[in-house]
Amino acid sequence: MDTLDDLRRIIRRIEKARPPRPAPEPIEHAVGGALLETPNGSVVRVRHEYPRQHRHGRHAIEAAFTVSADILSLLGRAGDAAGDPARFVFVDTETTGLAGGTGTYAFLVGVGYVEDDRFVVAQYFMRDFDEEAALLSALEPVVAGASALVTFNGAGFDLPLLETRFILARRPSPAVVPHLDLLGPSRRIWGPWLADCRLITLEREVLGLLREDDVAGGLIPTIYFDFLRRRNPAALRAVFSHNRHDVLSLAALLGWLARVLGGDERGLRPEEHAGLGRLWERSDLDRSRACYEAALAAGLSGEGARWVRLRLALWEKRRARWEAACALWEAAAQEHVFDPRPWEELAKFHEHRRRDAQAARAIVTAALDVAEAARAPARVIEAFAYRLARLDRRLQRSLFVGGDGPA
Amino acid sequence: MLGEILDDLLISTSTGPCITATRHFPARPPVWAPFPAGLDPRLVDALAARGIDRLYSHQARAWELVEKGHNVVVVTPTASGKTLCYNLSALQGLLVQPDARVLYLYPTKALAQDQLAELEELAKALPDLRMFTYDGDTPQDARRAVRARANLVLTNPDMLHSGILPHHTKWAMLFQNLRYVVIDELHAYRGVFGSHLANVLRRLRRICRHYGSTPQFIMASATIANPGELASRLIGDAVEEVAESGAPTGEKTFLCYNPPVVNPELGIRAPYLGEAAKIALRFLAEKLPTIVFAQSRLSTEVLLSTIKEGVANRTGDSGIVRGYRGGYLPTRRRAVEQGLRAGDVLGVVSTNALELGVDIGHLDVAVLAGYPGTIASLWQQAGRAGRRSGASAAIMVASSAPLDQFMATHPDYLFGTPPEHARINPDNPFILVSHLKCAAFELPIGEDERFGDVDVRRHLAALEDEGVLHRAGARWHWAAETYPADHVSLRTVTTDNFVVMDTTARDEKQTKKRQIIAEVDWGSAFSTIHPKAIYLIESEAYEVQELRFREDEEKVAYVKKVVVDYFTDAVSAKGVWILQRLADREHRAYMAEQGEVLVAEKVVGFKKIKLRTLENVGAGEVELPQQEMQTTSVWLTVPPATLDRVSQSREELIDGLRAVTYLLHHLSPIFLMCDIRDVGSWLGDTTPAATGAVATRESTRRRLLEAERFQPTIYLYDSYAGGIGLAERLFEVLPLLLARGLETLEACGCRAGCPSCVGPVNEVGRRAKATAAALLRALTA
Repeated sequence: MDTLDDLRRIIRRIEKARPPRPAPEPIEHAVGGALLETPNGSVVRVRHEYPRQHRHGRHAIEAAFTVSADILSLLGRAGDAAGDPARFVFVDTETTGLAGGTGTYAFLVGVGYVEDDRFVVAQYFMRDFDEEAALLSALEPVVAGASALVTFNGAGFDLPLLETRFILARRPSPAVVPHLDLLGPSRRIWGPWLADCRLITLEREVLGLLREDDVAGGLIPTIYFDFLRRRNPAALRAVFSHNRHDVLSLAALLGWLARVLGGDERGLRPEEHAGLGRLWERSDLDRSRACYEAALAAGLSGEGARWVRLRLALWEKRRARWEAACALWEAAAQEHVFDPRPWEELAKFHEHRRRDAQAARAIVTAALDVAEAARAPARVIEAFAYRLARLDRRLQRSLFVGGDGPA
Repeated sequence: MLGEILDDLLISTSTGPCITATRHFPARPPVWAPFPAGLDPRLVDALAARGIDRLYSHQARAWELVEKGHNVVVVTPTASGKTLCYNLSALQGLLVQPDARVLYLYPTKALAQDQLAELEELAKALPDLRMFTYDGDTPQDARRAVRARANLVLTNPDMLHSGILPHHTKWAMLFQNLRYVVIDELHAYRGVFGSHLANVLRRLRRICRHYGSTPQFIMASATIANPGELASRLIGDAVEEVAESGAPTGEKTFLCYNPPVVNPELGIRAPYLGEAAKIALRFLAEKLPTIVFAQSRLSTEVLLSTIKEGVANRTGDSGIVRGYRGGYLPTRRRAVEQGLRAGDVLGVVSTNALELGVDIGHLDVAVLAGYPGTIASLWQQAGRAGRRSGASAAIMVASSAPLDQFMATHPDYLFGTPPEHARINPDNPFILVSHLKCAAFELPIGEDERFGDVDVRRHLAALEDEGVLHRAGARWHWAAETYPADHVSLRTVTTDNFVVMDTTARDEKQTKKRQIIAEVDWGSAFSTIHPKAIYLIESEAYEVQELRFREDEEKVAYVKKVVVDYFTDAVSAKGVWILQRLADREHRAYMAEQGEVLVAEKVVGFKKIKLRTLENVGAGEVELPQQEMQTTSVWLTVPPATLDRVSQSREELIDGLRAVTYLLHHLSPIFLMCDIRDVGSWLGDTTPAATGAVATRESTRRRLLEAERFQPTIYLYDSYAGGIGLAERLFEVLPLLLARGLETLEACGCRAGCPSCVGPVNEVGRRAKATAAALLRALTA
């Protein structure tokens, strides 16, 4: 609306009231659910039930409900506070946009939890903005009864958003429960190896699940706005399905973590061994080392292998196990792609540990050759050149003073 | 020493005759008041620790009014202890009620930082007061801490608008317990900026209502004619004024200096920048701290180099003179401010950026190179020189522009006129609608809810049609993915900005490094950054290589650094057509009307103008689309009867009318508190919009000449889409404006035209001045 004139034309047009077009069939039926009555009105709820051993992708989700406290504490600070995994609630929201702030609504909230012997996925949907109070009212008891909420990037998005919605509706936020966000541990494990760490990517690469005809996340807000205006629920079905999948994948992902961290390492790829090594680093260095070594043994190569070798070498260095450290540095230096770090470490080792300036110099010279051939950045070459010059000066001095021979 | 130099200026044969006016303002003693009875003893101690054991009368009055529950605006001169007027109540409020919250608003981040430092000083010994700035520079992790812990938050309108209000749930504690909102530098919130702030405050008050708080507003303003009215319109509530200052002032002398005429026939005077530099150097030579205000960035740079040269020639040390403008990096500006306070910097040349409250210590002399454009700015700038005791001086050096000449030759006007009214138009439809969107994003808007005092039902319905709002139940909800505050700039009316990207640099890998160095709003873009334009930033020149503005893309001007000795001036074709008449008034000799117009402008080329000499050294052509803007205007149609009495030649009449238009445009700021660029002017006719097309001045002239019915019309319009109230005011004062125009013409000593009256004679035509005078006589008869 660019001009005053347009504004006037528009106003003239809409002075006559437009009656809303009635929907062909009640929305709740069209999406396979029913109306739920709450103290604040009615809201649409869709319920699906799955057996505990349901397979979502390659594995059953069951492991998620029996994950041990030890494993949970690996997954983040909230893991320590989380209670009984059988009372976890898995949460995923569909919203009117990613902008955040008070003008973004969660129009569909999917929650998954164990009830008796089934895994229930309940989805609460507001047919219009004035149904939000009912949605929040229905959601409250589910969330309040949880021992922890499990999300994917919920810390950054879903949960602050839900909190905002509760505050705006002048309702107290449901009892503060621990929140376990699987994005963090996922990034530690798969971050370096996968193109991205979106849930759908992990679903495909880790869980082995390929969705058919999934709706693109970016389209979801538009679908909802279109539904608001035209009241045609056809496109909504895909949104419900997408949301349901997300909740199941959350549970399946936690199940995967529970199983693998619990010791079942069948079928793990070399990168996943290395990723687990990263995860274990925080709490159990020995286990971390074992994972890294397993990764190398399983054939990890390239930049990942180099990174793992440097990490292992760092620990060997700290324990003064020089042979092991050098072996790792030498292996890392052999990679196709030039990385200055193993060369630096080797040079330093020979210069300061073995006090063999000649050997150090030989290493630095070799490093310079490789660096130049690989067209390394100027500052890297300069650093080596500086080191070389310093070694030369030292060798010069030793010629006169008579010290600094091999240790 | 100061007195001697002033005497010398008055007496000497070279400068004496140029001084058109002298005014002395005697020293004033302080008016004291005791500490109020209810003042918290901890605050009494804190004040005592800073050597304060009583208040000025206006500080006590402000306290009293706030205690009674009023909104207050304090209007006293610079350096009168205005900040204590609000700091006292704010700190008291926090001491008395530990969970209360206070919000401080400053126009810029720098001012907020300064104020924080001062507050921290004052509150050093007070327990439990957590004060923080919250703005674009606040790091992310600190933001959460501020939201959770601060009981006094200092911010600026932009941050409030896009960073706080749309996230108000994260600030629930603040809004629930908001006791005071402090707004300083209120006079800065006029025109477009003020119209936007008024709406931001409407949103703020709305959100406070939602959380159940009703904060009091404590405000401070520089002297303008209508502080109470401005304050009241900004916050949408009644406001009490405190205008009598109890602070002492030293003796002050004000001189008006008009550069001597060097070519009487053509009306050319000695360049005013040179004259201003000479005068400033006199004072600097005697080590008197001096500030020189220039009216544009370019003249600031020119003045600075001239003065530095002068000082270097004398003492060899030009580091004691520094420059200052908004475009400089914050670190540089902080260094200059500190240098001034400490005394290391003796002289500063600045744009009006230093007009605002930053503490720069006490200067002895202020030299104003050119009339600042408004009476209010005049006193603000002059007020930068002045001590609590001891003498100071302010000297205004007039340029050749008609407005400056008018001021220099009418000292009674200059000294007698109260500062202008600050005008805002919060209900400008474009501005209002932008904020309605933001408001809906923040809290759904009720069916019968008024925004401020405006009935917005039709706006809401229009927004729904546009697809961004949706009505559910009895409320309008935001129904789009976007974040509306991101698309509203508080300093422009329409929102598309161009970014200026420097493509000169290349990084290590030899790929082009692009760096954004400036932002230009849509309205001025085509005339300032058209292809081949020279764009100046801090006297560094960049040439525009390409301008991109496709509908769905980001708008960018790609520039490259160049070294040239010229700058460019756009040539455009314009047209103004009437869309709707809203009011009319028949005067004896003419018809005045007011209403909405469509202003179209098309940049068709540019002139190359040499930097030092200002001569025309070339031209170029540009192909750009036409830009259209709807706004408010006043127009004046001269009936054939009047035209006949003046001349029979259409050509002469057109020249004369053009001259009158120029003059009226240049004098209109006298009656409005605005910059000359806030008003646009045009001589055309009354063709209805449908048949209009833009034309250069020459082709418009031809059209008027050849038209069957000769119906020339003078337009004076607001340069902002939707209008900000200037045209309405002009409609009221049109007879006064015409009278002022005639006075100026008759008093001008040039023979046939000069920049001080109708424009240079070679541009306006030989008979233009005479015809213009005759026209004005006929119109004001």
